[in-house]
Amino acid sequence: MGSLLEIVDLEKRFELHILNEKEIDALHDVSFDVKEGEILALTGKSGSGKSTLMKCIYRTYLTTSGRMIYRDGQGAVIDLASATEHEVLRIRRTEMTYCSQFLQVIPRVPAIDVVASGLVARGRSIEEARRATSVCFERLSLPAELWDAYPSVFSGGEQQRVNIARAMISRPRFLLVDEPTASLDITTKDAVIDMLLELKLAGTSIILISHDEHTLRRMSDRSLHLENGRLKEAVVYA
Amino acid sequence: MNNNWLLRVRNLTKIYGEATPGVLERTGPKFDTNICSRTGAVVAVNGISFDLYPGEVLGVVGESGSGKSTLVQMLYFDQEVTAGEVNFKPIEDGNVNLFELSNQKKRYVRNHLMGMVYQNPRDGLNFRFTSGGNIAEKLLMANVFNVGKIRIRGADLLTKTEVPIQRMDESPARFSGGMQQRVQIAKAIANNPPLLLLDEVTSGLDVSVQAKVLDLIRGLQQDLGVSMIVVSHDLGVIRMLTDRTMVLKHGQIVEQGLTDQILQDPQHGYTQLLVSSLL
Repeated sequence: MGSLLEIVDLEKRFELHILNEKEIDALHDVSFDVKEGEILALTGKSGSGKSTLMKCIYRTYLTTSGRMIYRDGQGAVIDLASATEHEVLRIRRTEMTYCSQFLQVIPRVPAIDVVASGLVARGRSIEEARRATSVCFERLSLPAELWDAYPSVFSGGEQQRVNIARAMISRPRFLLVDEPTASLDITTKDAVIDMLLELKLAGTSIILISHDEHTLRRMSDRSLHLENGRLKEAVVYA
Repeated sequence: MNNNWLLRVRNLTKIYGEATPGVLERTGPKFDTNICSRTGAVVAVNGISFDLYPGEVLGVVGESGSGKSTLVQMLYFDQEVTAGEVNFKPIEDGNVNLFELSNQKKRYVRNHLMGMVYQNPRDGLNFRFTSGGNIAEKLLMANVFNVGKIRIRGADLLTKTEVPIQRMDESPARFSGGMQQRVQIAKAIANNPPLLLLDEVTSGLDVSVQAKVLDLIRGLQQDLGVSMIVVSHDLGVIRMLTDRTMVLKHGQIVEQGLTDQILQDPQHGYTQLLVSSLL
């Protein structure tokens, strides 16, 4: 299978001008590729650079140097490290979604609309989008009385389910998930894993960050280990 | 290059005082001032360029005096420009500089194709008119002359912006700050403009009213798909409304990027200071 994303010599350094020009080296010499339709796991201790790497790919972080060659749904090749903001917005709107570790939402929007808006932005009617969201929430066993409440008052596990639903609902071509099962009980955890595996069967490529052995074992085709911002060798789960 | 833009701004510049050669090079963030050391001229906006796409919301942040308001006021022809070009797709398919249009044509652009919401409702509304009358004024300027139609459209807009219709025939002078701002928004969108300019629209409102006005703007943006330029010194407003953000200091863009990137990985010292001042 071809590569969806090829990362070459990625470096990320934070320069903190307001802290006496302090520099934080976050990622060094990171090179790897993501094959189409695979689930690639990123593992490593807290602070090893996993989330930083994911945010660089999503362009929430700018990379200091290196390339991230992405092949989009139309077959065009884009370097996500240097693409214009409008190009990145287009890719985010049409095919790449990101489920961050912690839910960040616009205030005063009900949970169901937080998720449904992802489909509305892709041209579906609001009724249709809410129906699809309900199905998704049901599978994630999010209590129905919460659907029209604001996620800011939810528990950690409830917020995490809204977050996952939002990233998955549009069946993206490329999905970035950071600790999707961290604050969930085992049944809900398996529901999330099943849904992610279904996406993969339908062709979604996934980068997964997890510390959870169960999640990693069930999901990942391949895993990369990060240590102090550098990649160690890959492990292939048979 | 991509040609999908709605508004294209190039080298927009505003100087108060003498525009002597070299004045642009002697001011800006590098010199930590917008006042020219030789002539005392004030460079309010210094060579700003950007593209705005249809349906896009662009944030402009910066401290007081960074040039944010001057920037949108020039786009709305409230202020003369010193230099620069603005192309706008609905006018000659974007092939003319708006500042070279006749005054009559400029009024057309302003009345038919743009809406503006000012920080101070007194700048956007006429307090000697009723709130319905204020909306009628905008509609009349956009050549809607049927009184019945104007009345219906006015009621419609006020409902949409949650102003009680019973108060349609009252002057906005008697309204609360939040309600005045909602009348101003109703007026700004009266002619269904493809471009809406919002200048510090929630500053000075208390937080619960601020939240309602922001929700209204967000809802309108989603329903109408209008492009917006949102000027604010408040990163919370920027986070809630915008896709992309430009950070201005001393009249220049010091940084621009996706809004989530500006907030989570700010590059410029000034932006880092702004973000660390949040919360």
